[in-house]
Amino acid sequence: MSKLTAGTANRKPFKRPMAGWYKRDPFFVRYMWREVTALAVLLYAIVLMVGVLRLSQGEAAFNGWLAALGSPLSIVFHLVLLVAMVYHVYTWFEVMPKTMPLLYAGGKRVADATIMRGGIVAAIVTNLALLALVWGMRP
Amino acid sequence: MSDTQQKRIKIEVLRYRPEQDKEPVWQSFDVPYTDDMSVLQGVQYIKDELDGSLSFRWSCRMAICGSCGMMIDGKPKLSCKTFLRDYAGQTLRVEALAHFPIERDLVVGLEDFMDKLESIKPYIVPKEARTLAQGEYLQTPAERDQYEQFSSCINCTLCYAACPQYGMDSKFMGPGVLALLHRYNADSRDGAQAERMEIVGAEEGVWNCTAVAYCSEVCPKGVDPAKAVNLNKVNSAKAYFFGLPGKKEAAK
Amino acid sequence: MDTFHADVAIIGAGGAGLRAAIAIAAEHPQLKIALISKVYPMRSHTVAAEGGAAAVTQAHDTLDYHFNDTVGGGDWLCEQDVVEFFVAQCHEEMVQMEHWGCPWSRKEDGHVNVRAFGGMKIERTWFAADKTGFHMLHTLFQTSIQFPSIRRFDEHFCVDLMVDEGRVQGVLAIDIASGRFTLIQAKAVVIATGGAGRVFRENTNGGIVTGDGMALAYRHGVPLRDMEFVQYHPTCMPGTGLLFTEACRGEGGFLLNKDGYRYLQDYGLGPATPEPRNKAMELGPRDRLSQAYWHEKQKGRTIHGRHGECVHLDLRHLGEAYLRERLPQIYELAEEYLGVDPAKECIPVLPAVHYTMGGILADGKTASSLPGLYSVGECSSVGIHGANRLGSNSLTELIVFGKVAGLEAAAFAKNHAAGNTATLQKQADAAQQRAMQLVTRSGGTEKLSTLRKEMAQTMEEGCGIYRMGTTMQATCDKVAELKQRAKSLHIGDRSKAWNTEFLLGLELQYQLDVAQAMVHSAINRKESRGSHQRLDGYEQRDDVNFLKHSLATWRGDDAPAIGYGEVKITKSPPGTRAYGAAGEKADADRKAQQQGAGHV
Repeated sequence: MSKLTAGTANRKPFKRPMAGWYKRDPFFVRYMWREVTALAVLLYAIVLMVGVLRLSQGEAAFNGWLAALGSPLSIVFHLVLLVAMVYHVYTWFEVMPKTMPLLYAGGKRVADATIMRGGIVAAIVTNLALLALVWGMRP
Repeated sequence: MSDTQQKRIKIEVLRYRPEQDKEPVWQSFDVPYTDDMSVLQGVQYIKDELDGSLSFRWSCRMAICGSCGMMIDGKPKLSCKTFLRDYAGQTLRVEALAHFPIERDLVVGLEDFMDKLESIKPYIVPKEARTLAQGEYLQTPAERDQYEQFSSCINCTLCYAACPQYGMDSKFMGPGVLALLHRYNADSRDGAQAERMEIVGAEEGVWNCTAVAYCSEVCPKGVDPAKAVNLNKVNSAKAYFFGLPGKKEAAK
Repeated sequence: MDTFHADVAIIGAGGAGLRAAIAIAAEHPQLKIALISKVYPMRSHTVAAEGGAAAVTQAHDTLDYHFNDTVGGGDWLCEQDVVEFFVAQCHEEMVQMEHWGCPWSRKEDGHVNVRAFGGMKIERTWFAADKTGFHMLHTLFQTSIQFPSIRRFDEHFCVDLMVDEGRVQGVLAIDIASGRFTLIQAKAVVIATGGAGRVFRENTNGGIVTGDGMALAYRHGVPLRDMEFVQYHPTCMPGTGLLFTEACRGEGGFLLNKDGYRYLQDYGLGPATPEPRNKAMELGPRDRLSQAYWHEKQKGRTIHGRHGECVHLDLRHLGEAYLRERLPQIYELAEEYLGVDPAKECIPVLPAVHYTMGGILADGKTASSLPGLYSVGECSSVGIHGANRLGSNSLTELIVFGKVAGLEAAAFAKNHAAGNTATLQKQADAAQQRAMQLVTRSGGTEKLSTLRKEMAQTMEEGCGIYRMGTTMQATCDKVAELKQRAKSLHIGDRSKAWNTEFLLGLELQYQLDVAQAMVHSAINRKESRGSHQRLDGYEQRDDVNFLKHSLATWRGDDAPAIGYGEVKITKSPPGTRAYGAAGEKADADRKAQQQGAGHV
């Protein structure tokens, strides 16, 4: 049973405000950037959906979309998104091991860092494989 | 000691005396130190020699009692295990643990934490009965490993000071208590998993957590509360969709 | 002033206090228990105990072996009937802890593992990694939560016992957060407040180990027994005094002097074997090991360090993997506080005060001379440790006698009516005035930290590992002077909420009383026994004149009166404490003698 005494006299607990908490520690700043990268995923999804829409509207529309993608502004935009996506993937694998139970291989504990590295390697390999596939399919 | 020049460090402490202060105020102290002095020893020097009215909790000095947590240079740490030498050349700011109300100086109110700890059935509800005459329950080293790290929590509440979700909404059960809950769920001798899952699956249970994971970063004992909370999101989802193992209907 | 009505009040929520509370709550759920602690229960100093808790477990171990180890380890100053009771209860109590969830380290087959410990003939020390006290305390605290009849008063500081009609009637405590006083009326009181190691300069103890409960009982006429017996743990961190568990030696660590030589073999603990052998070398009893250190220091064979003369604890041959698995906390302590990697370098260690063998006079059922008042744990002298405690006996003591104290106090409470509340409230008011003098009087000139440091310094000088009449007398005089000067103690903080300066002042007063009992008991014991060793003509044990307990009785401002009490001998007549090869020979001789005389 916790303390329920009438001894609240003389006490005046002070609650410190949380406003701006995400700025007060570099760890929180990195966390917020991590969360922001979800927006990058959203934005790129929108770009791709527009592409699908343009495809449904005929060759001219689709080519117009492709041309827009090639503009300098678009290139910069995509580079920013790429950086965000890479950070997104990295931090995603940072969190992933936390959702898994304690794992053992050959009697020894598999460290979270190992699982994270495994995930990132798998991501890199998959992406390279996809790139190679697409590269091999270009006209 | 044959130091020709005594090393000194400026320590700024956030003071708060509820009977006289409207709000906390920083106070500066000039503290002589040696290379092996902890921040706790620095704060003790202030109380012994400079200002006897400085209040703070401490006891064991060896990072096992969990009393001496403070914000040191903006980060939640055990002051007995943090050393002044690492802050040489700067003004060191020391403040009460974040996300808790300040009662006085470096002392925070822990009633909420204690209430939460007591609410999760933090004790063995035996899966099978056994008399004392029958001796100990058998538990292999592998079974023990499943919960040991979560049983190493010293209740220092650094993880609560690290958790912005708890800071914004103190209804959240919080990392330390959820780690203790998992400690019991994962103990092969315990049979109360189903009852504890109600707490896990509640809004203020694991679902308030957004995997900031700063809690595990600051934990001085390697408990990894972020893991305890987040693996239970999977357990909670399983319980919701498939029911708990052995239970006929799905848990809410 | 608030008044809370309980059946039993327990002061101290460490291992002993929690076990007592659980015992009452489980057996008598209708009784109201007030569990009072000046810190949250998980901060109690039980948390810092590392090595383990002893209980006869292995098939080739016997209660007689544990009994003989304990009585011999205590240099025959133990109450042997109490030791017989104790060793017979250990195993069941340890199984109870396991049933409550304590994460004991296990063997591959799932049974609890046991390890070797100092002064123990057969391995019988149960352990939970190298954090046994931590795990026991948290198990007990968390188990206690399931009993609604245990009402906790966390962070409540006790300032006095209430006594009326010739028996104890409750406790006056301060709610630290608000500074308000609360009268907790109870028909029985259990004191479980721990030891008093902080009266010494270098000690393994946490800040809270200030002898509060000892002083409370003492000031109400209960004698403190065997206070001169203070244990120096041989392997502590220089400077801070933090503990490096005996388990380091149980796992095979060596103690080396500056020449890299295992010096213990020169002190009747040899021969030195590469593998640890029970009751030999580094697994000898703590008093012998600390004394050997002292001799090495006199010979100039210790290593000079920043914080004093050290010896080396060598764990290198155990290897990093083994160390990280079996002694993880030790590894961390060495690395973080000393910058030493124990797998590669030796750890500098020296003896520091660790345990108070003496305490509140208690019979085998933990009862004191004041009806209704019981004591258990390090604050108590129930009679099992004698002149020197064996490692891993005290954690088991908490749970064996915690249960006894709880049940005895409950029985007393059930057999007695509640006291007169109005009378007790007046008593409480007067006690509150007395305590508040520290912050209400003016003109104080003495600084708290100065008095505390002078006390700690003089106790180290007079009541060290080896003692002399001249230095003990100087300490007696100094403590008397400090008690006088403490009347002019200046407490600058006059606030109510969380005034820790005020509490430190109250603790200083407790400590000075307890320190005075220690040194006066010491100077009057004109022999050497166990951890009380003299160099001034009294180097030998004197069973003729001093096979008896010291009893210190409070005399207010004056020095305590020192009297003596009988030692209960049952199965083990006083013999020689022999360890190492000499010990094995003594055991063989004794066995042959018993077989010759027809005993098994």
